[in-house]
Amino acid sequence: MTRVRTVLVAPALAVVFSALLCAVALLISGDSPLTALRVMITQVGQGTTAVDILNSAAIYYLVALAVAIGFQMKLFNIGVEGQYRLAACVAAIVGGTVPLPPVIRTIVIILVGALVGALWAAIPAVLRAYRGVSEVISTIMLNAVATGLIAFLIRPDTFGALSGNNITTPPIPESGHFPGLHLGSSGTIFGMILVVAALGTGYWFLLGRTRFGFELKASGESPSAATAGGVDARRMVLIALLMSGAVAGLAGLPELLGRDYAYTLTSPQGYGFTGIAIALLGRNHPVGIAIGALLWAFLDKSAVALDVVGVPREILLIMQGLIVLSVVVAYEIVRRYELAAEQRRVAAQLRALANAKAPSPEGVSS
Amino acid sequence: MTASGNSGAGPGGSTAGEWAVELAGITKRFPGVVANSDIHLRVRTGEVHALCGENGAGKSTLMKILYGMQPPDEGTITVDGRQVRFRSPADAIRAGIGMVHQHFMLADNLTVAENVLLGAEASHGIGAKARARIQELAGTVGLRVDPGMLVERLGVADRQRLEILKVLYRGARTVILDEPTAVLVPQEVDDLFDTLRTMRADGYTFLFISHKLDEVRAIADTITVIRRGTTVGTADPKAVSSRQLAEMMVGSELPTPETRESTVTDREVLTVSQLSLAADDGGRHVLEDVSLVVHAGEVLGIAGVEGNGQTELVETIMGMRRGAHGTITLGGRDISHASTLHRREAGIGYVPEDRTRHGLLASQPLWANRILGHQSRPPIARGPLIDRAAARRDTERIVADFDVRTPGVDVHAAALSGGNQQKLVVGRELSGDPVLLIASHPTRGVDVGAQTGIWEELRQARARGLAVLLISADLDELIGLSDSIAVILRGRLVATADPSTVTPEELGTAMTGAGSGPNLAKEGS
Amino acid sequence: MVLLTAALASALVVSGCARDTGSSGGGTGGTGTDCTRNAAPAAGTGPASTAPAPAPADASALKVGLAYDIGGRGDASFNDAAATGLERAISQLGLQQGNTSETSAAPNESEDAAAGRLRQLVSGGFNPIIAVGFKYASAVKTVATENPAVKFGIVDDDTVTLPNVTPLVFAEEQGSFLVGAAAALKTTSCSVGFVGGVETPLIQKFQAGFEQGAKAVAPNVKVDVKYISPAGDFTGFNDPTKATEITKGQLDAGSDVIYHAAGASGQGVFQAVKAANKLAIGVDGDQYNSPQLTDVRDVIMTSMLKRVDVAVYDYINAVAAGDTSTLPKRFDLKVDGVGFSTSGGKVDDVKGDLDAYKNAIINGSVTVSSTPTS
Repeated sequence: MTRVRTVLVAPALAVVFSALLCAVALLISGDSPLTALRVMITQVGQGTTAVDILNSAAIYYLVALAVAIGFQMKLFNIGVEGQYRLAACVAAIVGGTVPLPPVIRTIVIILVGALVGALWAAIPAVLRAYRGVSEVISTIMLNAVATGLIAFLIRPDTFGALSGNNITTPPIPESGHFPGLHLGSSGTIFGMILVVAALGTGYWFLLGRTRFGFELKASGESPSAATAGGVDARRMVLIALLMSGAVAGLAGLPELLGRDYAYTLTSPQGYGFTGIAIALLGRNHPVGIAIGALLWAFLDKSAVALDVVGVPREILLIMQGLIVLSVVVAYEIVRRYELAAEQRRVAAQLRALANAKAPSPEGVSS
Repeated sequence: MTASGNSGAGPGGSTAGEWAVELAGITKRFPGVVANSDIHLRVRTGEVHALCGENGAGKSTLMKILYGMQPPDEGTITVDGRQVRFRSPADAIRAGIGMVHQHFMLADNLTVAENVLLGAEASHGIGAKARARIQELAGTVGLRVDPGMLVERLGVADRQRLEILKVLYRGARTVILDEPTAVLVPQEVDDLFDTLRTMRADGYTFLFISHKLDEVRAIADTITVIRRGTTVGTADPKAVSSRQLAEMMVGSELPTPETRESTVTDREVLTVSQLSLAADDGGRHVLEDVSLVVHAGEVLGIAGVEGNGQTELVETIMGMRRGAHGTITLGGRDISHASTLHRREAGIGYVPEDRTRHGLLASQPLWANRILGHQSRPPIARGPLIDRAAARRDTERIVADFDVRTPGVDVHAAALSGGNQQKLVVGRELSGDPVLLIASHPTRGVDVGAQTGIWEELRQARARGLAVLLISADLDELIGLSDSIAVILRGRLVATADPSTVTPEELGTAMTGAGSGPNLAKEGS
Repeated sequence: MVLLTAALASALVVSGCARDTGSSGGGTGGTGTDCTRNAAPAAGTGPASTAPAPAPADASALKVGLAYDIGGRGDASFNDAAATGLERAISQLGLQQGNTSETSAAPNESEDAAAGRLRQLVSGGFNPIIAVGFKYASAVKTVATENPAVKFGIVDDDTVTLPNVTPLVFAEEQGSFLVGAAAALKTTSCSVGFVGGVETPLIQKFQAGFEQGAKAVAPNVKVDVKYISPAGDFTGFNDPTKATEITKGQLDAGSDVIYHAAGASGQGVFQAVKAANKLAIGVDGDQYNSPQLTDVRDVIMTSMLKRVDVAVYDYINAVAAGDTSTLPKRFDLKVDGVGFSTSGGKVDDVKGDLDAYKNAIINGSVTVSSTPTS
């Protein structure tokens, strides 16, 4: 009960608080918060919005999961951005050029994505484990390097091809697609959602039920205690960042294998940073991240709908920012409150116990 | 013994009404195990007033209230007859109250004078006037070093005097000393007390927090005892014995840490030979040619002033520090290069000196803390998986066997009191039938009740044939529990002693390298 | 895995080299040395005959939706140009203000957001819908396939081949050729600079035309080509600070006329040029008259005009008239889809030469490649 309260109350309050602040901001700018709310809610039922939300949430879930794995170890993998983009680019090139039979082609593309993500994360991992280089700095740098590398890889004279004013990798043939669930005019749900769900379950199992998950959490909570308990901190850093990178490497694939079939200049960017926000929102918990990803995707799509009716879409950026900020603050407040309450509860129970044993402890003394 | 109600009518009968500090009805509801409730304490101007109580009795909270670090929920503070309300330590300092913390707050890379002036530039500037004042106060506190000397070159005792100097420089007339003797060897304690007596004659007032009762009786004019967050009475140190005082603190019969009959066998469990370790910065050795043997059923005590290599010795044996030369064998097996986990799996249990840093995961439940260090062994591990049910069951066993006071195994480790946390750690480290237990300060910061329990567990394990390497700053504990004692000084084992004959004073002498007594044998001779 | 690692590693090395060749920009003429100018082509010096403007149709029954690229209205660049075209349609074609909807893309948004935006416009009954920017290509393709009765125009893309989609693309290289020629005519150091926002094929068209135009006038002129960010990193269009740095470097190296195709980063180019008191060439609109740039206008000698406004207006007009087949396949010099501006009078002295080149391009005696030679 306590846990449920800690996990749910804080974000719920934060969302309500942020929504209220945004309503005030809307009123000040002369727009009606009620109209905005109505548009945001009704858009879900229109066209492909519901499916789009689900699809975006699946992508967000992957990036947030990648960030969360690092967070468990107090490692700040800002490089998810570069990892997923480079992985998607290389996976698209492999998928579009290497001839392979169906199913196997899809599997190879997915494996390449994970591998490239992991390899790109291996650089900061090794630097951190063996040279103590802050992974924050190295991953930021590598994001820039990844951008340059992608620009090179998709040049028309390397692996790319010109398509109008755009550059694109060779399209992945039908045999490499990940079939989705077609819902007619409501859109197509990415088939990769199944992979995402499996990863979420795997993450939950790994964290709570395995020795590795325990060592991961212990290292994150107290590196010194983990070391004393026989956990090899260096190995944990390496594995955690490699896993983070591998999951990040999958994040570009739902779109690649389910809709775009090629990596282009205009392929989406910025998921890595969204992932950080959602991992914070979801508190690194597999279910929390799922809720956070859905909320984030919903707000993203709302921005499009609001823009069409003339409400400034920036209001949703403000709202997303406010939610993250207030959730983090709220978690901390609730966490402290819960800890204090637990200490009181323990003390009270012990006192009751002691009084039951010795009705008048004072009487024994002097 | 005079357990005389609340406010103490102190001894001595000097001019009445001269109260430096009066605390009345102080109550603090605090999200901890012990809060302050209705505390009354009066400190006469120009006396050394000792505040005694077990760990967790509420001494620290009370001092934090008096020093302005926390506001009381109820009650009043009166300083020199004026009622005051402190919002921060700055307010307390302005009222003439200073505090010397147990852990020094000095900047190693600054000089003595700079440390004093840091943050107090306003009182006498930073020029000649300030230097003169520092010189004058250095005489008062007995600090006989050049003010231009770097603090990193100062010994522990001098650092403590510097801390006192700092608070005097800021105008304190009443000084709170939090466990000042914990870091000192017996001779240094005597020196400190001499200084305090001189300063008392100069009119300074001291509030002396300690649980070392012999020392309290040696220095204090008045003793106030608190238990479970409230004052249980005041006592005249001349009229009360340490044992009586302790019973006031604990409210029950006191235990002694004596092991009765010897259980030492000739089976070598841990053999350390010629162990050397360079400091992290690659400079001097923090361990040099350390050789020792612990037999089954034996407790080997390591005595030494803190910072002489005990921590490094323990962490090297545990495999937490790498790069050492020499060999470590456990039960005949060379483990010099094994990982910490392999050493644990080979049967080493480890009670670290700092349980919050090295022993526990504060925000994890107790059962998860049971896993730490045992994550690869039954009953916790099943291949790569963790058997949560088994972890819970075994935690419940520890809670029952080691008398861990907790409502259940699902509470977070941080919710337990220090003593109960330590019992959990000891219980965990004695799980899985270890052959060797390394116990660093196993009863530090633990109340007397828990202390007795832990001693008893160590004795029983020793009787079952466990080898124990015991590191402790508490010489009574060391002498009481050990079958043999080695003294460590600047990374070397310099002497051995027989605990059945050696006195704390002799040990203290050896610990400072000042020489050897009749009951000490020079190492290697 | 080993192979892949090796590939990545070598890719890193090669990409470094590739960047170098991109920035040197060819050109062998040293500063101040032999900078002989060729004579303008003999194709005639009078204004070239351009295609007649189509007659205005009645657009009062249309509902027009506009989906901008990132930045939207107020970017002082091609989104604004599109907006200008829409406004002209309102004032000249009888389009009702209330029957228009404008919406814009968010940075780094996903494909479904673009498609979602178009679908929202479709469900709002807007027809035609104009997508501004090639990033809408696949979204337009998807949504136009779903809604064959709705007409779409897409700026800067001609890859979507559907009967209800009209590409609105430009011959940027032709306009850039002319300003390149102007730069070569104006330089005193025989060295000119090009600052591209992002190294994409689209911006490379500007670079290609500029280089060819400069070389056509002065074969030995040095063209110093720099890009603010590599392909895929679109921050280069919105980074005036970095643009200032790059431009300073070019000026220090001797260039005295700088052409930018860098969107909002152009401001940084103008500031650096203004500080050095050299000349700059604007892009997309007539930047001399841009209200945001009044304090630096005196260094803007001309601007390469890319008439997105014309394309948008013409497209609405054609839809109103019921026949989009009359629209040019490419908005080039011939239809005044691209060109150069003369505001400020700084190119008046060379306008004759420029018009000559313009005529030569229109009548085909000079052809301009759309890809850089380097």
